[in-house]
Amino acid sequence: MGVNRQSPNWVLLSLMLVSVVAWLFLDALNVAPNRIVPGTPYTSLEVMGGWPALLLGLPLLGVAVLAWQPSRKGLQCSLAVVVAVLMLLPLWLAAATVGFVDADAPQARVGIGSALWLLLFLLLLAVIELRTRLGVSRAKGWLLFMPMLASWWLALTLWLEPLALVREYRVRSDQFASAVYTHLMLVGAAVGVSLLLAAVLVLVMRRQPAVRRIGFAALNFLQTIPSLALFGLLLAPLAWLGSRIDWLGNMGVSGIGWAPAFLALLGYSLLPMVRNIFVALEEVDAGVIESARGMGMSRRQVFVQVRLPLALPVVLEGVRITTIQAIGLTAVAALIGAGGLGTFIFQGLGQAAMDMVLLGALPIIALALVADALIGALSERLRLGGAQ
Amino acid sequence: MTSSSVTTRAVATQRQWLAPLIWFILLLSLAAGMSQLEWLFRLLEPELRQVIYRRGDFLALLGRHVLVVAIASLLAVILGVGAAVAVTREAGRDFLPLVAQLASIGQTFPPVAVLALAVPALGFGTLPIIVALLLYGLLPIVRNTLAGIGSIDPDVHEAARGMGMTPRQILRQVELPLAAPFILAGIRTSVTINIATAALGATVGASNLGDPIISGIVNGNTAYIVQGALLIGLLSLTVDSIFERLQRRP
Repeated sequence: MGVNRQSPNWVLLSLMLVSVVAWLFLDALNVAPNRIVPGTPYTSLEVMGGWPALLLGLPLLGVAVLAWQPSRKGLQCSLAVVVAVLMLLPLWLAAATVGFVDADAPQARVGIGSALWLLLFLLLLAVIELRTRLGVSRAKGWLLFMPMLASWWLALTLWLEPLALVREYRVRSDQFASAVYTHLMLVGAAVGVSLLLAAVLVLVMRRQPAVRRIGFAALNFLQTIPSLALFGLLLAPLAWLGSRIDWLGNMGVSGIGWAPAFLALLGYSLLPMVRNIFVALEEVDAGVIESARGMGMSRRQVFVQVRLPLALPVVLEGVRITTIQAIGLTAVAALIGAGGLGTFIFQGLGQAAMDMVLLGALPIIALALVADALIGALSERLRLGGAQ
Repeated sequence: MTSSSVTTRAVATQRQWLAPLIWFILLLSLAAGMSQLEWLFRLLEPELRQVIYRRGDFLALLGRHVLVVAIASLLAVILGVGAAVAVTREAGRDFLPLVAQLASIGQTFPPVAVLALAVPALGFGTLPIIVALLLYGLLPIVRNTLAGIGSIDPDVHEAARGMGMTPRQILRQVELPLAAPFILAGIRTSVTINIATAALGATVGASNLGDPIISGIVNGNTAYIVQGALLIGLLSLTVDSIFERLQRRP
């Protein structure tokens, strides 16, 4: 890789130093006797005599030392250390929680403090940095996060009952499950229907330049309107339709609920979808089409057997963008009563219950990241398959 | 240059600014004269006593909305372009892969979630919104600036150095001008998202154009919702058409 052995890896060095300082001196935990009373903050050094915190901090200093003169071996070592610390963090939290809550009332709840969030964030950055430096492949890169996820899962199911986030979840686990379901259904429906509609639209656009011009202009226009405003503007006509036309009203169409949410999501989803499908079909090399025609393929065969497979990765990129966008917009749709994970965010904000906000926001981010990774992996596979 | 060609050019310029101007005038006159339209909103909600949102003057709400977005976007441009320039210099190149990856991973985070997370960290009010808008707005700007600087042909670089330009001159006279269309596109994306996300700020205690919408949803008053939505829509169309115009400049 041509890395000069003498020059320090400043990225890793600074990440580690900031991590250690944040970890030891910012608030790691926040213990409250119940949901209403604000809690008392504790730094990691005040938990369990402080030595477990130091024990977690020391290896990070070791990584900083290794980063001073980075070698491939040193970087591999660092990666192992960072992954291990990420795995130990939930266990530390579990131990700390058990220690605190036995002494307190059963209503007590533990909040995660800035030190822990920051450490988590910086160490994840370190994993990304090391993954890039070592040239770890995409698939193996995801495996690096598995020990951490497994250990969080273990800690959350077995020991982290008093964690405020878990307490919020326990109270509304049914509601949570149905929120995830509604969220996924809305996103799935919007992406699915927009894919079909966009495909039809593109086929027409390829024939009719006028439709192309007007179509793109209209979709661009729509994309500019902020989601909250579009949800709002759809509310009035749908409320009117729902109250005037019986069968629409019976289906549940009204100003509030799934109907305006779905329509708005569909509108936003169409632009990225149409643009990508259009570009994908246009950009297939003219020479390839020419030679396929030369081999005696019919127009239809060329489209189905040549143009479509070659265009697929770009189409998938459109699906990826649309899905991620729809996951975020569905959260906003909770404001107009469409349900989904956004409900927790806005209810939590309304009650100033921050853990409830987290209960909505963290799964939304997780959904977006997972969707991004899955569709990204799929399109990479297709691209490689096409190249072979 | 003859005087007639100057006039045609002036007319052409005027015509190109026509769309932003029309949207802007519509926006201002609607914000100023909303109460004149009471009869119209009366049709929408015939039973309700009050059909014009009165808890805040629309012009003041518009002003605060624009101010929050402007502050956040300005800071995002300074920090974003600054960061992208810093990691493409010799001294900061170590940070390039991480910053590039962070900018692309960060964009998968939904803006609502970022706004929601800013509240536990910073509390209610205008400040958390500005911070959330700033953080989220950075990403497209960093990403596009990096793409713009990265797209410059190494030969151009070589030629500039051969002409005896200093690194600072290369940055200011070669790299930034060539990357400008990319940067502008990034700023446009960033500002568009910021206008939309700022409206959601009404749920975390900021008073802006999102206010009438949220209040209308809570009180079941469709007229309030439509008033807020129309103004936000017009604001985004105004800003978007300005960017459209700027990007078309040869």
